[in-house]
Amino acid sequence: MTALKKSTLTEPELVLALQSKDSTVLKTLYSMYSPALYGVISRIITHTELAEDVLQETFVKIWQSAEYYDNTKGRLFTWMMNIARNLSIDKLRSKDFKNSLKNQDIENNVSFVDEQNKVTFNPDVLGIKQLVENLKPDLQAVLDLVYYKGFTHVEAAEKLDLPLGTVKTRIRLAIIELRRNFN
Amino acid sequence: MSVENLKAYIESGVLELYVLGDLSPQEALQVQEIAIKHQEVREELAAIESAMEKFAMQNAIQPSASVETKLFEKLGISLDEQTEPVLIPSLPQETKIVQLEPNDGKIKTLRYALVACVALLVISTAALFITYSKLTDAHDQIASLNLDKQKFAGIVSKLEYSNQGLSNLVEMNDSKEWATIKMQGQAISPQSKMNVYWNKKNKSVLINYLAMDLPKADAQHEYQLWAMVNGKPVSLGVFGKTDSTSKEALLKMQTIQEAQAFAVTLEPMGGSVNPTMEKLTVMGGV
Repeated sequence: MTALKKSTLTEPELVLALQSKDSTVLKTLYSMYSPALYGVISRIITHTELAEDVLQETFVKIWQSAEYYDNTKGRLFTWMMNIARNLSIDKLRSKDFKNSLKNQDIENNVSFVDEQNKVTFNPDVLGIKQLVENLKPDLQAVLDLVYYKGFTHVEAAEKLDLPLGTVKTRIRLAIIELRRNFN
Repeated sequence: MSVENLKAYIESGVLELYVLGDLSPQEALQVQEIAIKHQEVREELAAIESAMEKFAMQNAIQPSASVETKLFEKLGISLDEQTEPVLIPSLPQETKIVQLEPNDGKIKTLRYALVACVALLVISTAALFITYSKLTDAHDQIASLNLDKQKFAGIVSKLEYSNQGLSNLVEMNDSKEWATIKMQGQAISPQSKMNVYWNKKNKSVLINYLAMDLPKADAQHEYQLWAMVNGKPVSLGVFGKTDSTSKEALLKMQTIQEAQAFAVTLEPMGGSVNPTMEKLTVMGGV
């Protein structure tokens, strides 16, 4: 939440500046949102280097396609988060990522595996993790897949062998749980 | 859309999927259309978005600083410029790297060669100094040998001179033609003596430097030989100092037909017409 305090710009002002290609606003945007977006990305891609690549790609795309952002369709952060999520999922399924997994030398494997299982000691995250973990296991499972693993709800339904409707309901219930905690 | 239908729509979870970007473009468009029409849907969407945003904010992880640097480099945006975006021409500074030729071995060889050259130079210099000192010694020896040689040459020439004079004396003594007139020292130089050789046949007169013992004449004077003919002195010529370095030990004087005596006087250089009697050095009768 500290990041938000860094700028006094409101979201419409940010959007306007971004769409008029004011490069200073990109810096503001980066300092405000890069940690949040990096958090989203690194839930999906645990490999630090690749996650950072995706973060960079995300901001490049935000900068280059700012004109396509439509505030009637949703908040700026939602738009940016979805760019980050989509790029992360693309990366996860790309040849690049698979190669990076394959190409690990045996001696590098240990550190790579460590990297994959790295625990980030972010106190804020620890609190939220706890919250998410306190969800009912069936809600936890879908949120894990959809939010952390980058699954679509269709893929999640297949993976959990559940009807699509059930998956959708469970996603909704999990988010309602989050909303309750924030409000 | 009826209130019941709207509630069912909201509760279907489609709005969450919309926020998560998990709908097809057609489905998403439908959500947007419904949201425009229905306040409840818009509010529900805003609540979901807000929750997801807060969730993301609280799960934020600070990326490494290099990502920002690389990002702005890639976009050509200067991080320092706060007012104007400066487009950095993304010309990669290609520093030309000149690969050093793999000639380490060559350098090593050259290094050895250099060391060898230095060693050789030192040895050469030392040898040169030794040779130089030997040469100096040789020069000294040659000089001293030359001195010796000159000394010996002088001795030899003196000996030759003496030998010639002596052999002439012997010849003249043996010959009946030559008369030897012995002149004795007079008042100014009683120790002096000198011989004059007079040929009876051709009347020629010789003196022998080896057969004379006269005081040394100074630079302004020389001796003059006189013949006493019927009481009158006749000059037979002048001769140099007794220690003359002339090669010839014998000196031919003027001939005289007859003489009763010979005498030598010390006269000024060039001789005199009449003898200076006070300077009469030696005299002897025939």
